[in-house]
Amino acid sequence: MSNQITMPPRPVPGPVPAWSFPSATSGLVPGGPATLRCDLPGRRLASVRLVLDAGAGRDTRGKEGLATLTARALLEGTEAGGGTALTAAFERLGASLYASADLTALRIALDVPVTRLSPALELLSTVVREAALADADVARLVRERLEEIAQEDADPGTRAMRELRAVIFPEGARAHRPTGGSPASVTAITGEDVRAFYASVDPAEAFAVAAGDLTGTPVDSALASALSGWTGSGPALPPADRVMPVNGPRIVVVDRPGSVQTYLSIAHGVPDRSHGDWPLLSVASHVLGGGLNSRLNAVLREEKGYTYGVRTGLLRLRHCGLMITQGSVHTEVTGDAVADALHGLRSVVADGIAEDECASSVRALADRAPAEYETSRSVAAELADAAANGLGTDYPSRHLAAVRAATPETVARAYRRHVDPEALTVVAVGDAAQIREPLEKLGYAPVTVTATEPAR
Amino acid sequence: MAEQPLHEHTLGNGLRVVVCEDHVVPLAAVNIWYGVGSRHERAGRTGLAHLFEHLMFQGSANVAEGEHAALLESAGATFNASTSFERTNYYETVPVSHLELALWLEADRMGTLPAALTQANLDNQRDVVKNERRQRYDNQPYGTAFERLCRLTFPAGHPYAHTPIGSMEDLDATTLEDCADFFATWYAPGNAVLSVVGDVDPEQTIAAVERYFGGLPTGPTPPPAREGDLGPLSEVRNEDVAEDVPSPAYFAMFPLPSDGGSDIEAAELAVEILGGGSGSRLYDRMVRRDQIATEVWAGVTRLAGGPSLAIVDAIGPDPEKIAAVLDEELARFAADGPDADETARATAQAERGFLEQTETVTGLANALSQNATQFGDPARVFTAPSRAASVTADQIKDMAGRFLAPGARTALTYGGAR
Repeated sequence: MSNQITMPPRPVPGPVPAWSFPSATSGLVPGGPATLRCDLPGRRLASVRLVLDAGAGRDTRGKEGLATLTARALLEGTEAGGGTALTAAFERLGASLYASADLTALRIALDVPVTRLSPALELLSTVVREAALADADVARLVRERLEEIAQEDADPGTRAMRELRAVIFPEGARAHRPTGGSPASVTAITGEDVRAFYASVDPAEAFAVAAGDLTGTPVDSALASALSGWTGSGPALPPADRVMPVNGPRIVVVDRPGSVQTYLSIAHGVPDRSHGDWPLLSVASHVLGGGLNSRLNAVLREEKGYTYGVRTGLLRLRHCGLMITQGSVHTEVTGDAVADALHGLRSVVADGIAEDECASSVRALADRAPAEYETSRSVAAELADAAANGLGTDYPSRHLAAVRAATPETVARAYRRHVDPEALTVVAVGDAAQIREPLEKLGYAPVTVTATEPAR
Repeated sequence: MAEQPLHEHTLGNGLRVVVCEDHVVPLAAVNIWYGVGSRHERAGRTGLAHLFEHLMFQGSANVAEGEHAALLESAGATFNASTSFERTNYYETVPVSHLELALWLEADRMGTLPAALTQANLDNQRDVVKNERRQRYDNQPYGTAFERLCRLTFPAGHPYAHTPIGSMEDLDATTLEDCADFFATWYAPGNAVLSVVGDVDPEQTIAAVERYFGGLPTGPTPPPAREGDLGPLSEVRNEDVAEDVPSPAYFAMFPLPSDGGSDIEAAELAVEILGGGSGSRLYDRMVRRDQIATEVWAGVTRLAGGPSLAIVDAIGPDPEKIAAVLDEELARFAADGPDADETARATAQAERGFLEQTETVTGLANALSQNATQFGDPARVFTAPSRAASVTADQIKDMAGRFLAPGARTALTYGGAR
């Protein structure tokens, strides 16, 4: 039946329409955060992102997790024992408020229909100025965090990331230890610690970004009135360290008995985003593990069916990056899958990059930007992240321009300069009894086995 | 985006088309819902609708293996597909310059997929899907909870008793002939809705759809789906799960009214008030005040051909205590209903949910296809906030009493002995 259908010829697309990253207007709350206002016509959901220079990179040795718990405690309200009062107040506006910490920053995210942006900013103001950070709330949040660590350790992907950071960053690096803390460090955290940490946040080092269809919303004055007069009172937080990753080769097995798949995470340290080679390494990552036709997926998924899919990407830390290839493979093919992955990661050094695969990856990365930055949320988050990392508000545009300018030669050169495929760190979370020997047989690096330590 | 008029058209072969202009970004979202999902599978072939979805990316008469993805990736498109109980959905969001290419790609596989069906492709994608099953369900703590709850809630053989991922045994048993039959039965233009949203001209878009899809044969009328109804449950059915999980936990499933009437609007608000987020009753009671759980979550999956499903799950050391407190809160809710503030908050959250669902061209195109496929009315998507806002506290109380009563659930207990 199907061979009787005559399809019209395949249409040939014209040029992709021009698009540029939305522009933003800078401002400053006197004595307080720098601000960015980004007007996005037609976006009826507004987003506010407040980034504080109080990431986990600046929390206290022995009390790792302090930044994470501070973020969570901020959501508990302005009165001790206030219960659901703060959440309910945001819900009444159809708003959501979220806060989290990564190594770089403590991030507060507010999303609200733009018609109610002003009252939502008034509420946000009470959160940053008057959060109770009460002992009882912190004690409960500590227990919840301990439970969450146990859940994370049971998830192969998060367990792999935790182990990867622990082996690729040396003992002295904050990145060596989990962002949200270990059971021991979290248990040590008190309400007093959280209040002291938050008091040391310097509002003048913060950034506030508001994005959405802001026509008719006096967002500059609303931000100013929400954030002016907010002050810190404690001593400055210690500066974040800049300890760099130490490359392998090494293979680390995290034993997860009975696992039907092995979660693989294969990584190499790279420079941070301010380095001119970062956009080129983004293209290299896409060539290797960006889509279904990338070198690794073409073999591991589409040819051999070892996996539902792998991806190669760049982890953004403030002072460095990691190029990570990760995904789950069937336990019984673990050794073969790692061999194929290593072959792929070596192939850029050995063979360079072809004209068409470079062009395809450049277009995939650059031409998807209009969809990637279609919402207020994504624009605000990207601008806030650029600010938090000291990259400047024109960073998203500069990055896209540099991606478009990539050539097969510059991409291959950047990869060879920054990635040594003979010095990778391979983390494999799986059934050690089944995968240790195949991994040893690869002859790539010595294999060490780590037991899954009980979380409590 | 602001609400725009919809342009609807039906081709001679039965394909329904919905176009909506949105000129905020230079994109076009293309979204096709086929009216086939796991509820249409026969015994012994669970997982076939989803496995077939994978084969739709392996080429067709005029598209080589891998070419579909290559063309879209190199256009900066975001694209994927998903299979649920009731439908299979294919979508791509492309620079508007590539709209006609996207339409042509969808038309080619709608019309000529069997030309590229091979045993090698089936075997490869079967392995990929089995790894998908391992990754998403079998190798995740509590990963099979939803599958177990469906098996517990619905009688054996009921179309919703199994989930779209299917069983390893049935995936292994699937033949090339099964796939060809599946395509011939379900992938007819008349069993599909195509939505296009974006920086497009409606007349030109409909003309392009005619050009690429108009020559596809009408195909057979799909067979009627089996009865999917299931009323509220009358007593708790519990399964103890002896799986190695990090912590004891309690998962519950409640059948709710089907999507499409006013009952589901009230029932979904009831679930939201009960367990949606950290302002909800269950979170406040179990996590904040009693501290018998460290996490509580509730949510609703709306279904049109069977009962919608509410899930409540909680992690805490003593699942029996969680179950007892859940019963108390359900009984209190059924007796008293919500207060005015709870109703207002849930309604405001529903409005934000609607804005989130429809703020991207991708999201709006999906919502249009859904409402056209399931209710014959794509514009129904825009009434979501007003449907939620018109629900009264009495209706919520009524729904809580009928569908969220203490006995109206199935449940899983993980690690209760610990």
